[in-house]
Amino acid sequence: MNAPISGAGRYIGQRVLRKEDLRLLTGRGQFVDDISIPGVLHVAYIRSQIARGRITSMDLDAARAVPGVHAVLTAADLGVFTTKIWSMHLTEVGGPLTRPLSNENVRYVGDPVAMVVAESRYIAEDAAALAWIEYEEEDPLITVEDAMNGPLVHPGTDNNIVREVQTPPNPEFDNIVASAAHVMTSTLRHQRIAQSTMEARGVVSNPTGMGELTVHIGCQSTHIASAAIAMAFDLPENKVRVVAKDVGGGFGLKAQPWREEIGAIAASLLLRRPVKWIEDRLEALTTSCPARESDITTTMAFDKDAKLLALDCVYNSNNGAYPHMPDAGMPVMMFMPGPYRIPAYRFVGKAWLTNTVGLGGYRAPWAIESLARESLFDKAARQIGIDPVEIRRRNLLTASEVPTRNPLGIEIDNITPIECLDNLLTKIDVPAFRAEQAEARKQGRYMGLGIATYIEPTAANGVFPLLSDHAQIRIDHAGKVIANLSTHSQGQGIETTHAQIIAEQLGVNVDDVTIYQDDSTRSGFGPGGAGSRQAVVAGGAIIRAARLLTEKIKAIAAHALNANPDDVTIEDGMVKVAGAEAMSRSLKEIAMLAYGDPKRLPPGMEGGLDAQYRYTAPRMFTHASAAHACVVEVDAETGFVNIKRWISSEDCGVQINPAIVEGQIAGGVTQAIGVVLHEEFTIDSRGNPTAVTFKDYHLPAISDVPTFEYTHITTPADNEGGFRGVGEGGIIIGGPTLLNAIADAMLPFGDLPDDLPMSPTKLHKLMQPNPPA
Amino acid sequence: MKPAPFDYVVPATIEEALEHLDRGAGDATILAGGQTLMPLLALRMSTPGIIIDINRIPELQGLSRGEGATRMAPMTRQNVALASSDLATALPMLTRALSHVGHFQTRNRGTVGGSISLGEPAAELPATAVALGAEIEAHSLNGSRRIPAEEFYIGPYATVLEPDELVTAIHFPDWAKGSITVFHEVARRPGDFALVGLVGAITLDQGRIARVGLAWFGMGPTPIKSAQAEAALMGQDPASIDWKELAAMAVSETDPFEDHSASADYRRSVGRSIFARTLPGALNQGAKA
Repeated sequence: MNAPISGAGRYIGQRVLRKEDLRLLTGRGQFVDDISIPGVLHVAYIRSQIARGRITSMDLDAARAVPGVHAVLTAADLGVFTTKIWSMHLTEVGGPLTRPLSNENVRYVGDPVAMVVAESRYIAEDAAALAWIEYEEEDPLITVEDAMNGPLVHPGTDNNIVREVQTPPNPEFDNIVASAAHVMTSTLRHQRIAQSTMEARGVVSNPTGMGELTVHIGCQSTHIASAAIAMAFDLPENKVRVVAKDVGGGFGLKAQPWREEIGAIAASLLLRRPVKWIEDRLEALTTSCPARESDITTTMAFDKDAKLLALDCVYNSNNGAYPHMPDAGMPVMMFMPGPYRIPAYRFVGKAWLTNTVGLGGYRAPWAIESLARESLFDKAARQIGIDPVEIRRRNLLTASEVPTRNPLGIEIDNITPIECLDNLLTKIDVPAFRAEQAEARKQGRYMGLGIATYIEPTAANGVFPLLSDHAQIRIDHAGKVIANLSTHSQGQGIETTHAQIIAEQLGVNVDDVTIYQDDSTRSGFGPGGAGSRQAVVAGGAIIRAARLLTEKIKAIAAHALNANPDDVTIEDGMVKVAGAEAMSRSLKEIAMLAYGDPKRLPPGMEGGLDAQYRYTAPRMFTHASAAHACVVEVDAETGFVNIKRWISSEDCGVQINPAIVEGQIAGGVTQAIGVVLHEEFTIDSRGNPTAVTFKDYHLPAISDVPTFEYTHITTPADNEGGFRGVGEGGIIIGGPTLLNAIADAMLPFGDLPDDLPMSPTKLHKLMQPNPPA
Repeated sequence: MKPAPFDYVVPATIEEALEHLDRGAGDATILAGGQTLMPLLALRMSTPGIIIDINRIPELQGLSRGEGATRMAPMTRQNVALASSDLATALPMLTRALSHVGHFQTRNRGTVGGSISLGEPAAELPATAVALGAEIEAHSLNGSRRIPAEEFYIGPYATVLEPDELVTAIHFPDWAKGSITVFHEVARRPGDFALVGLVGAITLDQGRIARVGLAWFGMGPTPIKSAQAEAALMGQDPASIDWKELAAMAVSETDPFEDHSASADYRRSVGRSIFARTLPGALNQGAKA
């Protein structure tokens, strides 16, 4: 009973088909725009056409006169509410005060300055086009360099730095670097990335009853959304019901309601009408908090044996005008040491404000740490003259060195990067590849092998609200299982994985378990999808709740059947007594006892058949580990990168559903392929986004994605269930794996450019014997 | 992303469509397959007063083989043309180009005439029309004319078509049986517009090049006929040609641009490579066939 789950069970570890997919694949999902409420009004935002300036006049009369327009609202109209935007931690965002509509000054192209509320989105957009706004335009700050030298983005601050982080001073640091046998420095410039969720943002806000509000919103946690909305309008949180059944991707974008969602809710409260705002793709690709834009200069100092002595990083990120949370690289600083032995560590990070749309969180916001570290390891290996695998082996923490703490004091224990690397190397014959590579080069074909290793800090535990999850499981009078979970899914398959855990624990059929997580008023508080935590934390809550429920079932059955509770088991929904087949009872019969025949329950036992548990993972971080390899060929004629093989070797502990684990890896790696090869949220010198449709914003297509070869190690974590998170690993490790492979392929031509993406133009230029001037 | 208000008319005949065009006086836009127009309307980058939907005019559908030419009615869906065995026999170059136009789903709606009339400089069909020597037939209330494809395009999305003219057919001249298809497209992802594209046809007569048509796409503001290279190839024995030199000449006729996807230098350099490889490759294969 109390033995940890390990290896394959009846359901745990099985490739159970996703319960969600039938409705999603047959168009029966319920996304925000599927919500239809009689009398709903539609919002179109009137947005700044300039990146920086002061509004000198705003004439909205023509817009207001359009038939079907109910209101054209400005910041002054919304002023009756707080409408303050809160971070996903339900704290101040820690940067500029952020509200739905800008008042006097506009700070990015697309900054909302007014909103039309009309009977249809068509009418609303027609009216929005008639708004006449005049600006006193100023030169915008677009890049971090602009921010360093330009005027203030927000008045009342000393400079455009909105947050700074650094490691504690180490007076010996410079001496350590100076006396090192080998020192390598490299800069990496990460482009800005558009979030590109399949379902863009959206909200339907419906004031109901007396002072109650029901909000359908694309979110990652109904609870965080409910709390943030309540705080923005000074409403009691228990009056704000947030409903979100299906959400088409979150990645961090939907971790908190943002300007446009709060604006639409404000309109519904002002007009006392249901109001809908559905972000269109143009808005999504221009004004929906993009991610990642940052640069990092990394220095590694090694002794003569290629063992790291010191690691030094200088990080700057472009936070735009209104970031989700200022990013000075705190998590980059925390996770940069990874699974390596780093005797001396220095990190300085700054978050800069610019006249661009605010920086958003995006799947593994710290992922540049692995990109920078793993690509510099490869450069160092080449300079020192050892194999990229060997330099990692010399610096990875070995089993005898853990538990330990990384230079930031983070506990590193129960990690398996070396095991993952060893396992990976059984799948790829490196010497054979080197021979093939050498032969190919003679023919003018440029192949490369990239390898990277890392640990992923999953299920972060310590900062509100990323602490605990709640599960309430009940067996209804018909013997079927309903679980209300504090989780939320943006596509992760929680209705399947978490049903598998319940089915395994309770001994019921997985088809008889239904998960609900779509309503803030139905389930316990939890942070939902954030930080690769839902398997670990909600999984633990489920196991504990199911265990309580199992004990109750056994106690009821034993009492009713006059059997020893230890002899009672539950299999396939049947409650059985060892050695007495005839005494078997269905769960339905036990449920009818529990609900309908209290006299037959054990003395003192409450009726009903339900249990709940709130679980906190035992560690600050539950580490997952991985090593990936990929083989590429760069076409000498076109500079195109063809990914020929991709092998993953990861350890996410006990796998609930390997197909879903592999789906998470595939999705993350695919996003990483987009980052390294294709995607770029470009902005011109006046601050205008220039890749505003998917014709110009290049997502990876299926033709860019190889057939992944997955291998798994399953070292149980020391939490309930033994699970480790796997949500962000693919995007973290995918980037450096691919970048290292391209660098290896391009070795005859020199170092890669320092800016992503590695476009055909850049690679082709590097391959030309005499690059055009 | 909702279109600005517009009037919508659905003529049943060419005559009726021309009357609407005439009345529209430059404020009218033709809706064919809508694969380009619909996004432009949604982005309000195109805000016509009248949209003339020509999807229900029977005479504008289908392709037919005539004396010395294939007549393609403009509303022929790209997938219909692609599936035509008559076309594959008569003009395999066009079939090949069609297979690269957009995606299966967009080709179900997208039309041959729509793509050719629009004049996207990186699209396959306008360049193919130029390379193969097609003529574009246009009607207005004042009559009709035939415009050689190479004179049709004057800039990105700009043609010599007058505001009151409607494309009513594209005439592709026959190429002798056994003519060789030249086609190579470099695109970031299948279905994308070309970074660099080359299309054409070559007819050999007793080992010498007797007829040749070549055009670039994605290499300038319009599809670009490679006139100098064509002239240099005429009458030559392929075995005696210096392909690198000829490729340089062909690329010198282009005027590529820089955009999100590639630099102008990239396009020139890749253009030289694909020209120098694709033409001899196609001729070799043709010789074996």
